[in-house]
Amino acid sequence: MAKWGMVIDLDTCTGCQACTTACTMENSRLPGESWQDVLFYHEGTYPNVKLMWFPRPCMHCENPSCVTVCPTKATYKDPEGGFVLMDYNRCIGCKYCQIACPYGVRFSMDERAFVKPDIRQVFPSGDGRQWNPPYQAPQDDPGRGIGIQPHGVVSKCTFCYHKVSQAPAGVADLDEDVPELKEYVPACVRVCPPKARFFGDLDQPQSTVNRLIADKRGVRLKDETGNKPQVYYLSGGATAAVPSLRSMAAATVPTGPFSPPQRAPDTGAIAAHSADWTADQA
Amino acid sequence: MNIEQTRRLSEKQFAIMFAALCGLLVVGGIVIHNLAVYGHAAFNLDNRGLFWGLPIIVYDYFLLTSTGLAMIAALAIVFNAEEFRPVLKRAVWLALAGLVGGVAVLMLELGHPLRALWAIPFSFAFSSPLYWKVMAVSFYVVSLLLLLWRLLTPGWTMPALRTHALITLVLAFAVTAIAGVVYGSQSFRPFWASGDIPVAFFFESLLGGLAFIYFFSYLGYAFNPALMPDNLRRLFDERMPALLSLAIFIHLLFVLARLTSGLYGNLEGLQVWQHLARSPLLYLELFVGLLLPLVLLMLPATRTRPWAQILASLLVMNALLIARFEYIIGGQLVPLFKGAWAPDLLHYAPSATEWLLLLVAIFLSNAVNAFGEMRLHLGQEA
Ligand code: SF4
Ligand code: SF4
Ligand code: SF4
Repeated sequence: MAKWGMVIDLDTCTGCQACTTACTMENSRLPGESWQDVLFYHEGTYPNVKLMWFPRPCMHCENPSCVTVCPTKATYKDPEGGFVLMDYNRCIGCKYCQIACPYGVRFSMDERAFVKPDIRQVFPSGDGRQWNPPYQAPQDDPGRGIGIQPHGVVSKCTFCYHKVSQAPAGVADLDEDVPELKEYVPACVRVCPPKARFFGDLDQPQSTVNRLIADKRGVRLKDETGNKPQVYYLSGGATAAVPSLRSMAAATVPTGPFSPPQRAPDTGAIAAHSADWTADQA
Repeated sequence: MNIEQTRRLSEKQFAIMFAALCGLLVVGGIVIHNLAVYGHAAFNLDNRGLFWGLPIIVYDYFLLTSTGLAMIAALAIVFNAEEFRPVLKRAVWLALAGLVGGVAVLMLELGHPLRALWAIPFSFAFSSPLYWKVMAVSFYVVSLLLLLWRLLTPGWTMPALRTHALITLVLAFAVTAIAGVVYGSQSFRPFWASGDIPVAFFFESLLGGLAFIYFFSYLGYAFNPALMPDNLRRLFDERMPALLSLAIFIHLLFVLARLTSGLYGNLEGLQVWQHLARSPLLYLELFVGLLLPLVLLMLPATRTRPWAQILASLLVMNALLIARFEYIIGGQLVPLFKGAWAPDLLHYAPSATEWLLLLVAIFLSNAVNAFGEMRLHLGQEA
């Protein structure tokens, strides 16, 4: 029984978003439904400012708070590999799992269109699903949250269950450079141009993922939550780092009657971007 | 009250029920239309982090008011407080009416409301606070219905109902406390997370229950104190102002304690308190919604005045709605790992459909309540 895990090397990642695109294509996701995303943020204020980025799929936590809170067991931890999956047929759309995920990686796509035109209207589905894109991958397993979801449910990254679960038993690493294994490699890992992503069995001590975690001191995002992600980040400090939430924010802490005086950050472009988004929603 | 007065009062209750049903028809029609055309895109919620909006606030508000009413009625019976007899039936019926309004809104908010009816009870998801909340609410409703039935049976006595009231009390408390755990257990959302949230919810429920008893008793007599029986007036002038004042004071303590520690705290997520401290809503809640009623109920010149009691209860009811809004939204304002395209703090203003859902709950609860006043004669002691 494997416990699949991912290692993302932040020193190698170039923030190219190939993983995001591959995930969206592989899994037929909607705009804004970024099961995998690269988050851009900056640290410091002009002139000492650094642009940083941070790739973020679902962490497939060992102790997933989304699973703990789900009142219907629609989201569950698969004991055969440690995937955290969704059963679209059980989900009632209460969104408690979205509330309870510290990493913001669950999506409910019944909200307003993220970008115009609303692609759901352009390619409407006749069978109650969110949409029916002209090009879509053939895999469809609603009991595992694979394929295009119906309305009223929450969706999330599957760790490419449809690929990984087909891998030969006992394999330690799923490496896209090994021809006989490449079809089993998660889409975001397989396309990563600088090879910043690795996928393997965390239960096998000799796996590359375990070696990387040990040699390069892999860390887990927000480990204090107790969720124990199965995604590890490597960061030698050269470029990106595992961020805190506050450093992800577009602006700094708001000034209020009780907060210390601060310099106004240069967030014009970002503020304009979010204003656009809000205006678009209005 | 003579027969003529009873008849006229009944007519007024019918008018209230009719108006509420008309309102429900119009507002409910618009909501259903909007949901049919736009789905849940009719709500101002999105994946940047605001997952639970006004519909959940309305649901929790009505649910906790319901448990507050039930707890007051049950406590009165358990402690043999005969002076509460004139409000018992009304409190229990109102608890059911409020619950109907709140649950109706929840059903319109869920992605798959009908599926929830079987998927939750048969999931045995013991780790989920929502599972326990739904189970507790189910048993609570049954217990409440049975208690009402017994209260409507002539000749009931408090000692005979004590065990039943105790069960209802425990169930109402369980619903309230679990509702607190739903939020309080989210440790990575420091604005919500706290072990004392279930206790705070308990006192908020009691406060809401007392305010609702005041307001809806007056409404039951068409705001004409002269029609009220003596024992009800005695209760309202002697015991209730002190109880309501005490409940406001305890609630204020919780609010101020969280506000102060939140304003000085530096934990990620607590910056929401800074945001709230700059919003007029907080001051409206504190000064107009809580302090003003406290003064009205404590001053000897006003505390027995019907207008002051009605005003105080109305203000408290609104303050609690604001408090619920600030709490539920506040815990979601910091976007989690959404990157530079999300602002540092999210902004939320309910959509028109969401506001209409609040009206759905108000109209529905009022229609059910007026029906009870008319047909069950809630003001008359059995
Ligand atoms: S990252 Fe979030 S959605 Fe993924 S398993 Fe952990 S808690 Fe669940
Ligand atoms: S939205 Fe679905 S998966 Fe999430 S907690 Fe509710 S029922 Fe479970
Ligand atoms: S593992 Fe698969 S589903 Fe998850 S982010 Fe990568 S490509 Fe997307």
